Formats: sequence, C-alpha cells, structure tokens
Amino acid sequence: MVTLTIDDKQVQVEKDATIYDAAKVAGVNIPILCHDKKLKPFGACRMCLVEVEQMKGRLIPACTTPVTEGMIVRSSTAPVEKARKLVLELLMLNHPLDCPVCDKGGDCELQNLAYDHKVNANRLSDEKFHHQIDYNNPLIERDQNRCVLCGKCVRICDEIVSRGALTFINRGIETKIGTEFDGPLSCEFCGSCISVCPVGALLARPFKFKSRFWALQKKASVCGYCGTGCSVTLGVKDNKVLTTVYDENQGFHNGQLCVRGRFGYQFINSEKRLQSPLVRKNGQLVEAGWDEALNLVVSRLKGAGNSAAALATPRMTNEELMLLKQLMTQQVGSANIDHSAGYAHTALTEGLFKSLGVAAAPSAITDIQKSNLLLVLKSDAYETHPVVGFEINMAVKNKDAKLHILSDKRGKLAKLPNATTLIHKPGSEVALLNALAKVLIDENLATAAASVAGFAELAAGLSAFAPEQVADQCGVSADALKGLARAYAAADKALILFPVGLAYPAHDAQLAHAAANLAILAGKLGKEGSGLLVLQEKNNSQGAVDVGFVPAAGGMNAQQILDGCVSGSIKTLLVAGENPLISYPNQAKVKAALDKVEFLVVADLFLTETAELADVVLPVCSYAEKTGTFTATDRRVQKIEPAISAVGQSRPEFKVYGDLISALGGQAPVTPAEAFTQIPAYAGIDYASLKADGTFASVAIKPALVLPVAPALQVESGKLALLTGAALYHCGTLSQYGEGTVAVCPEGYLELSHADASRMQIADGAVVTVASANGSVKLKARVSLRMAEGVVFAPYHFASSAINQVWTGAAVTSVTISK
Amino acid sequence: MPNPFTPIIKGMKITFGHLFKKPVTLMYPEERPKVAERFRGLHALKVSHDKAKCVACYLCPTVCPAKCITVEAGEDANHDKFAAKYEIDMLRCIFCGYCVEACPVDALKMTGEFELANYRRTDFIYTKERLLEKK
Repeated sequence: MVTLTIDDKQVQVEKDATIYDAAKVAGVNIPILCHDKKLKPFGACRMCLVEVEQMKGRLIPACTTPVTEGMIVRSSTAPVEKARKLVLELLMLNHPLDCPVCDKGGDCELQNLAYDHKVNANRLSDEKFHHQIDYNNPLIERDQNRCVLCGKCVRICDEIVSRGALTFINRGIETKIGTEFDGPLSCEFCGSCISVCPVGALLARPFKFKSRFWALQKKASVCGYCGTGCSVTLGVKDNKVLTTVYDENQGFHNGQLCVRGRFGYQFINSEKRLQSPLVRKNGQLVEAGWDEALNLVVSRLKGAGNSAAALATPRMTNEELMLLKQLMTQQVGSANIDHSAGYAHTALTEGLFKSLGVAAAPSAITDIQKSNLLLVLKSDAYETHPVVGFEINMAVKNKDAKLHILSDKRGKLAKLPNATTLIHKPGSEVALLNALAKVLIDENLATAAASVAGFAELAAGLSAFAPEQVADQCGVSADALKGLARAYAAADKALILFPVGLAYPAHDAQLAHAAANLAILAGKLGKEGSGLLVLQEKNNSQGAVDVGFVPAAGGMNAQQILDGCVSGSIKTLLVAGENPLISYPNQAKVKAALDKVEFLVVADLFLTETAELADVVLPVCSYAEKTGTFTATDRRVQKIEPAISAVGQSRPEFKVYGDLISALGGQAPVTPAEAFTQIPAYAGIDYASLKADGTFASVAIKPALVLPVAPALQVESGKLALLTGAALYHCGTLSQYGEGTVAVCPEGYLELSHADASRMQIADGAVVTVASANGSVKLKARVSLRMAEGVVFAPYHFASSAINQVWTGAAVTSVTISK
Repeated sequence: MPNPFTPIIKGMKITFGHLFKKPVTLMYPEERPKVAERFRGLHALKVSHDKAKCVACYLCPTVCPAKCITVEAGEDANHDKFAAKYEIDMLRCIFCGYCVEACPVDALKMTGEFELANYRRTDFIYTKERLLEKK
C-alpha cells in the first residue's frame, strides 16, 4: 500500500494505482475524457492534469501516473484550471458546435466539461473538420467531425471486444478514427464503441433523433436474450423502450453488452406485438376478449389429466414457470411438462446432476478472469454468449490466461494471442474429453480423485479411449491431446466452458459427464477461477432447471409430447413462448404434431409460426413489462421490475397462469414474491433484497465420476457434415423481432470452407440447396476460413430459411449441397 | 379635522379633466389595439430558405413549465434533423416566452397575435403548419 495526499486528504491505495484512482478513493473529482475504468490508461486528452509537489515545473496527467509514497497532489490550483481550460479550448477549436442536433447533447462529456470550466468563448480560431459522415451502417453512425481522438473506441474494440475494427489513421491534424482501408465499418456491431464515446462521434443509428437523453427514463433491467444475465438499462419515453443506456457500473460486465443486448430491444415495442387474445373461429384466428379465450382454455384443461401437456420457454421468469408447473401438475393433473425441446437442458438435469449431484454448473462467469487456463469446447461460446466471450478475451489479453479451444470449426476466440485450437471431426467431443481423462489417469495426474466414487469404473471404461486410439477418429493428433491434458492438469486454476442450447444436441449429458470428469480428476473443482461453466442458451435456462420445469414422475419429455400429439395421446398442448416449428429439430415432425393435436394454446408476444397454427393465442408480456426473477447461467438470481406498462392487452404470464389456476379451483401465489419463496432451490435468498445485478444461489457439489458414452457418428461418404448452431447476432427466435439484430443478420446462411466451395464451384453469396434424408432448404452460401473441409455450418434462428427442415436433431447431419 | 369636501373636489377635478382628454376605451373589434413589440402572443416558427429554422433540439419542450410543446424529430434526405412534428397546446400555454429564450437557433418567436379564442378544444392545438411564420 502507498500513502499519498490529494488536496490535503490522505489516502492509502494499492501500489499499482494511478493518481486518478487514488483521487477517486479520496473523493476528489478529476475531470477525464479519454480514461475509462475498463480500459488501460492512455493519457490522450490531458484533461486530468494535476500538480504534484515532488514534480514541480510541469503538470502531471493523473490517469497515467502511478502513485508514489508521500506524493502530494493538488487537483485544482490556478495553473491546473488554466491548463484544463486551454485543453478544452483546443478541443473545441475543431469540434462543431452542433449540440442542438447532436444526439449526445445532455450526455456529452465534452459538453459537461465545457460547462464546468466555463468555456464560453474561444481565444483561438480554426476551420472545422470536413470529414464525410458514415450514415451507411444500420447500427453505428460515425461522424468524425465531432471526434476528440480520445481513442476509447479503438481501445475497447481491441482490449475487450478483440475485434480491432477501428484504429487511428493518418497523422497530425489529419488523424482520424478509421476502419480498415477507410472502408465501411465491418464488425460485430456490439456498439461498445458507442457506449464509451465521450462525444457524439459514434451514435446508435436506431435511436437517432428519437429522444433527447434527459427526456429518457432510465430503467434497470436484465437482458432477455442469452443466459449470461447481463444487466441493462432501458431508456424509456412515453411508455416505449427507445434505446439501451450505457452504465459502466452495472453488473459483473461493467455495462458491456453485445449486439443483441444493445441493439435488439425493438421487439419490446414492435408493431408486430399481439394486441389482444386470438381465438380460432371457422378456421380463422380472430380477436377475442381475455375472458372468452381463458374460458376456452379452462374448458379444455379441466380434468384433462395426462392428455394435456405444456412446453415452456426458459425466457419466462422463475415465478411464471413455477405457476405453469403448478397449473399443469396440480390443477390439470398432467406430468407432461418440459422446456428447451427436452434435450437442451440434459447437460444439467442429467449430466451435472449425476456427476456433481446438482443440476447447475459450479463456477461463475466472474471466474473466467481469475483463471490460468481456459478450456473452451466449441468456439461458439463466443457466438452464443458474446459477453462471456469478452470475459475470455480479457482473461487472455490482460490476465495471461492460457486458452485452449476444442472445436469442430474455428471462431473468433481462436484468433486470440497464444490460443491453441484443436479442430476435431464433428461429433467427437466426448471421445476427445475421454481421451484427456485417460491421459490424466494414465500419467498419474488424477491421484487426488482416486477416492471419488466411480473412479475404478471410469478408469476401466476409458480403456478404449487412449489418445492414439481416438486420434484418427477425432482428427486430432495424440500428442496434441496429451499436451492439452498435461497443460490442463498443470494449471493452478483451470476452467472448462461449453455452451448448450437447442442447436447443440451434441452438448448433452454425456458431454457434461466427460467435462465434469476432467475437472474432478484434475482436482479443479471448488477453487476460485477454476471448475466448470455451462453456458446456457436462454436468459432463464438455469431457472427453468431450478424450478424443475421438466417432466414430472412418469411424464413425457418434449420429444415424447410431440410424438404423443401425433399418436393422439396428447389432446391439448399449451406452448408457452416456444416456437417449436422453427427452433425444434425436424420441422416435419413438429408440424405434424401441431396439426394433429386437438387443441393448441400458444402464449407468446408475437403471432409466431407456431402461434399461427393455434386454436387460442394469448398475448403475454416481454421482460420489460413484468416483475420476477431470472437465473443466469451461473445461478445468479436477478430481479426485474417493469420498465413500461403492458403493451396492448397483453398480460404477464404470472397473471395468466394464476387466473387459470384459480379458474380450475386452485390457489395460486398472489405475487411473484410469494411464488419465489416456494422455489426450493432458492431457499435462503431474500426476494426483497434482490437486484438486477443478482445474488448467487448456492451450488453444493458432490462429485462422482460417471463413464460417458461417446456417440458413434459417421458422415455418409461423399456427403458433408452439417453442424447447427447460433449466429453471433441472434439468440433463439426472439431476436428475429429485434430490428437491430435483423438489420445486420437478416437471413440464414450456410458457412462452408474454401476447399468445398471451390470444389463445388460455389461463389460467396450464391443460393444453394442443402438436402438431407429428411428434406431440403435453400440457403445463401458464405465461404469462410472458419470451416474445415467437409464440414458446413448453419444457424438455426431463421423462420424464412429454417434449417430444421433438414436437421432432425442429430449432432451431425449428412447433407448434400447443390446449386 | 380635515375639510370633508376636499376629497370630493379632488375627485371631481380628475373626472372633469378627462372630458378634455383622448378616450382610453378602444372600440374593439372595430378599432384594433397596437401591441407592444415585446408582447408575447401566439408563437410563430421562423422560416428561412423556405424551411422552418427549427432543428428539433427539444430545448423548448424541456424548458416549458406548462409542458404544452410536443416535438418529434425526423431525419431528412440529407440526414439532418428537423421537426417532423411541432405542436403547441394553447390551452396550456402560459405565454411565458421561455421557449423563445431557450431556442439556440432563433427559430421561434412570439407574435402580437392575441385573438386565440376558438370553438373546439382541438382547435387550440397549433400544429407546425399553423405555427409557421406568415410572410
């Protein structure tokens, strides 16, 4: 610790702190433009100049100068004030004074500083810049004339996002922030650059001229897309969510968001939102009142027993899932409830439940930056959970963590410094992890785990998984596998990450067993910065597991429910928020099931493809309109409060299912707070004290080694292996209704390697037909460096080109491609 | 004790004096008043180059104590900001003139127009077209 004096206040700070950090501790405000707590010190703007007694004769920038023992700092003497005023005058020299039409007005750091330092006139004069303004990007507008060259956008894009889309180009007075070859912006559109821009040089186009900053109400909430559980602040005006507002003090991620979180909010106030309940009359869905619609549902559910079933989306709150579960199991008397197509949650409900004794991952997202070694299965961790990807970037770049990637295709993470990527053949993940476990056991790196239940059985069962044996089958050399196993065992703190979701059927219970085995064998559990993290697809996937929204004893799972619809054993199906017709595998089967089932009720925000087949459609609320809790992927329970009132006649599902329970003679919890107390997994958490940032629910693990069964997957000869997955810009099918996400990624595509493309003479952007034994779909070809030869990839979100016409839920589908 | 007739005489003096002065009464509406230059009557949006000068900066609705101004900005073909909607609710306006004072581009003024009576409530909502300065 170092002791120093700032403005006559004595403070003690860490020895690697800067004067600026110390001033913050002392409660002294030093003005800054180019400094950001998330970024490395840069010292570009010279606003933070201070006087230091020991360095008399010149002014010292506070944000880049480390503290020293006994330093005496003065932050607001006359020379300091004079210098700051001059800095501002110099900045304002070229900065256009168009505050009235600049969207940053009111939220602009330069404006605030000019006001604070009374820079009302300029002693100097110069011409303003005449850079061309980039209006072409659908999400990010760049006006270099307003730029003060603080470099925050360049640094955040490099240090956190690791994209490097922006940089300083040219020299001297002509310096500007540019893109590669000064062309159009080509990036991930996460908008991090906008969030840190102190002036109006980078602005969110979807929000352009929509409102002034001061007229917005800022409502804290939790992003409703993926399972990362990022806190967001919604900018609300006239009961409409107009934008997301950056708050650097929010959540573990310090306000950092991805393209979906920042630009995908438009679905909340979309014109496509259902305004009133719909009831099918004479084959047509027509508007109806809530009473009529609910009475119809009640009449079908009353005494239905096991002929009724419910499929829910893990986008609902814990309390709503709780109520729907109560409705189905107690009032209707059906054990047939499930979510996420019945398989996307098995890594937790079966895998980790058997391996660790609890259906939750033992580590938290905050462990990533504390780890020494990250083993990431599928580079898709970046695409499914971009903010987790940022954490990985920072761990590798700032904290020197080693990154090992085991994936069937390359991804952005593979480009990180010192990242080792092992590209394996599709569908061989479990065999590979088994081989790693075998190396750990054979080389006596797993001595600590010898007493764990199932060790002997596992050691015996892995006999067929020696690296030499699986090397050929997996396409990874035995030496590489051994090296990875040794590195993993040697690391003090090692964390395994893998995503799960509808499009990742290979990431099932077996993979979870295999990953957990590694962590148990190498003794990586129960340490900070170490263990296992399962990245779940939806905002409340973990909550749906914790609430137990899985088949009750003797009940059918999602796939069996769909089979039951076809066979006639399920007569009434309640689909809450899911869009199985697009997101579940095998569209033909889902379509047959939804057509066959006697009575289909859909509760959703939109008239989705599934809702169009329904007999009753109930309009429900988005996350911005309701109260309740979501549980993030690391069991962080976060509370949401309504930011706006319900759109149209839509109602929160909590009320809808509560009313149904009452109508069927039951007693439902009156408030979400009451329902929350009935969730056993969250016993000990006080609902009233929950906030958007969240509180961790405890995960007590009881490790056991389970022998994972490696699937035998073979691609038919002469065919290509189709992998499904998530696109960076989308999450589930909900992001199809967000204008921002659709603007940058409007349709499905098929990614294939250069080798395959040139062999089949397919040009980038050409429309190709992908066909499997099950069906075919037309997709735009995207020739990329990511794919290995013989492997193609298609994201699953898109209704217009639904890949589930081809894909039947297999981890790898053999397909042919024709022009 | 003062003379009780003094006040009466004083009063009558003033009364008779007025017989020889120009009458104060204005025979409105035949006769029109001449309003002062700084009179705060109906607003007008100033026009320059055949366009309203207003850039939709929202400072007038922000400063308005009666919250009677509604502005909605739009983006024109040149990507510039303009007031796609500009409405003043004259039923709520208190004619304080803060909006004129706040305007950073001198796009708003208050005219001498004071005859604002109308038959319907909706007629008191002055849209952008009605507010544009007449030349």
